[in-house]
Amino acid sequence: MSRHALSARTARRARALAITTMVGASMFLAGCAKDAPQDVFQPKGENAAEINDLQYMVFGIAGVVGVIMTVLFVVTMTKFRDKGQPIPEQSHGKPALEITLTIIPALILSVVGVFTTRTIFNLAETKDTELVINVTGQQWWWEYDYPAQEDWGIDQPIITSGQLVMPADTKVLIRETSRDVIHSYWIPALNGKRDAVPGRIHTLRLQADNPGIYAGQCTEFCGLSHANMRMEAVALSKDDFATWVKNQQAAYKAPAENTLAKEGEAVFLNQCVRCHQVNGLKKADGTAAIAAPDENVYAGAAPNLSKLMSRNTFAGATWDLLKKECRGGVWDAKSEEFGAKYLEGVSADCLNEVDLRRWLRNAPAMKPMYADPTKLEPTDGKYRGMPYLALSEGDIDKLVAYLLTLK
Amino acid sequence: MITTGSKYFYGVTVLATIAMVLYMLFVNPNDIGAVALGSLASAAALLGGLTSFTRDSTAHSVKEASAAATQPAPAAVWPLIVAVGIVMLVFGLATNPIVFVLGIVALVAGAVEWLVQDYASRASADSEFNSQLRGRLLHPLEFPVGAAVVVGIIAISFSRIMLNISKSAGAVVFIVVSSLVLVLGFLVALKPSMRGRAIGTLCSVGFVALVGAGIVTGISGERAELVEAAEEDHYSHMECGAEADKYFDKHPNNAVSLKSATLATITVRDGKMIATLSGLDAPVEKVTIPASSPVQVLFHNLDSEEHRLVAELGEKKVADTGVKEKSEQCTQLTGEDQVNVLTLNIRKPSIAAGPYKLTVPGLEGQEIEVYVP
Ligand code: HEC
Ligand SMILES: [Cu+2]
Repeated sequence: MSRHALSARTARRARALAITTMVGASMFLAGCAKDAPQDVFQPKGENAAEINDLQYMVFGIAGVVGVIMTVLFVVTMTKFRDKGQPIPEQSHGKPALEITLTIIPALILSVVGVFTTRTIFNLAETKDTELVINVTGQQWWWEYDYPAQEDWGIDQPIITSGQLVMPADTKVLIRETSRDVIHSYWIPALNGKRDAVPGRIHTLRLQADNPGIYAGQCTEFCGLSHANMRMEAVALSKDDFATWVKNQQAAYKAPAENTLAKEGEAVFLNQCVRCHQVNGLKKADGTAAIAAPDENVYAGAAPNLSKLMSRNTFAGATWDLLKKECRGGVWDAKSEEFGAKYLEGVSADCLNEVDLRRWLRNAPAMKPMYADPTKLEPTDGKYRGMPYLALSEGDIDKLVAYLLTLK
Repeated sequence: MITTGSKYFYGVTVLATIAMVLYMLFVNPNDIGAVALGSLASAAALLGGLTSFTRDSTAHSVKEASAAATQPAPAAVWPLIVAVGIVMLVFGLATNPIVFVLGIVALVAGAVEWLVQDYASRASADSEFNSQLRGRLLHPLEFPVGAAVVVGIIAISFSRIMLNISKSAGAVVFIVVSSLVLVLGFLVALKPSMRGRAIGTLCSVGFVALVGAGIVTGISGERAELVEAAEEDHYSHMECGAEADKYFDKHPNNAVSLKSATLATITVRDGKMIATLSGLDAPVEKVTIPASSPVQVLFHNLDSEEHRLVAELGEKKVADTGVKEKSEQCTQLTGEDQVNVLTLNIRKPSIAAGPYKLTVPGLEGQEIEVYVP
């Protein structure tokens, strides 16, 4: 072989090695991201911790097997490839070898199987539940309602959306269902995922060791805005949770006469109440304003806005109701201070007006929602999501002032 | 080196790449379609590379490979089937979608069979080996599909027969047939001499008889009782009072899937109604049900007297007259230690007309409040 050919070959090898290293390194480093609230390797509660223990074990075993197999594969491919050598002697069957090669994987799988089954059964346990919460998915947001449970001071059901507020250090059982297509609820720090299926109730244990916010997102492709269907679990200390419950059940406070907010209430009654319920809101004639989302929205529901400003996010937990500075104050708060910060809700100073106004101006432009009125034939004229309402800037000012009072 | 086997994959790679470029230029540059074509190109390139690298792993010389090409092609019906498929496709477009779908099935099946057969018939100079190769590629498809078709025909024929004959005759037929199958199975297992021709003939005769009977009973229709029930809508008709309906009312709804996904359970024990929420063992006084969502409430009667669960859901307007009447829904009558499911889909929040109520006729003065937030 000439020198020239040899160096060309070395160069080719070097290049191949460099590419492999680069691809491998970038994949490896992607695992070290700092701001990764949905990291499955960082459990923040006993259910997720149990899954984590299992996955370390399985990844370990699978890793060893994977390396052995890859090495064998590469060696076989290079060593025995056709270089014009005569075909080796052909034989059929080696019972001893075959039986060994069947028994080894069977043993590995049974070990993994025993631990997996135990984990599955532990995670399916419902007997020790302390609090149940109904979770209903629809395109493209989650609704939470809290059945009356005297132990927790919930004597009237509570309803909210986007952020699931729950007591920390408590065995919470969510009961999932869906109003349209299949969705899937996943807060990686607290447990695995579970599908929300129309017509069925699926349960999922959630437990957070400490107060804090735990992010997640819908993990079953559910249409146009699947990527904008997020959720957050907010764990509060038991005292803070009691305060939250009390506030959620507090009666409606109508805005004072002759304020911008009062005018906003009138606009709300005209434009919004056909979809959005605000508990306690009265029409001009003094009767209760009852929303009829079942007549206007395909899923049959729109978020209940009674306590909108007690949550930090809106529209499927995808946009913040808090400005950046204020949001950081809540998310990065120390565990002990977190509850008080969260319970402050959204104040006029902290409101992320930019995004809220954008939403009211044209919601479907912000979050794709099949809201084109000319294309509603397949859904009988009903919207999937919130439509464009052609509000004037003046009306938007009034609405923002009004929404700020819903706390 | 481009080996014989890798040509196909390289061809796919090139075509997919061209298609991707055209797609991105003329249809949509950032669309799932482009991603799919790009993935196809890279997958084909990988397979092509592997095939080249291993030098096709089979053919050792050009001579050997070309010897295969001299084999005469065996006779095949597949071109005919493909043609029939195309005709059905066109015909189906104009007439019936089922014909269209069958056309697609014939087309795809014929094309796959034809392609593989043609490929196999040129694989080597040995026609025995070639036909084995064809079997190895196609039997894993042909056997399951064939078996599924046969099982489907058996199931449909059998169900036609069972829906036609009376209920008690149905039970007898079921017992006799399944016992026969069992006995036959035992005999064949114990006496290998019974295998082969005799058993094949027997099965064929049985199959033909079953299909024949299925066609006859299918044409003559379901038994009178079922026809009447369908016409009079007995399946959905239920009275919420204490009386029992004629045919089906007394039979609890045993759909396992419904019972396995309930929101709440109402139990009657010693004349008392007890509500529990699934996942929470302690009894509750109020049940909360999400609006506009179909949910199951399980009714479990532990008393010897028959009971049914009634949901009182406010009022509704009767469409034509505008008269308001009570909106009620109920389970069928439920005997001792039996369960029944009530599927509720409540559209209006309970602040509009509620709280709604769950009651059991006969147990007066007891009710469970239902909140719909
Ligand atoms: C046709 C029904 C409909 C009308 C009318 C409507 N909305 Fe909505 N709205 C929705 C739906 C559905 C959503 C949930 C969209 C999502 O998150 O994907 C929503 C979401 C919202 C949210 C976010 C709530 C949350 O918790 O995430 C706000 C705020 C809101 N709407 C305000 C208004 C206001 C103010 C009006 C009146 C000007 C109004 N909407 C009119 C259907 C409607
Ligand atoms: Cu979803």
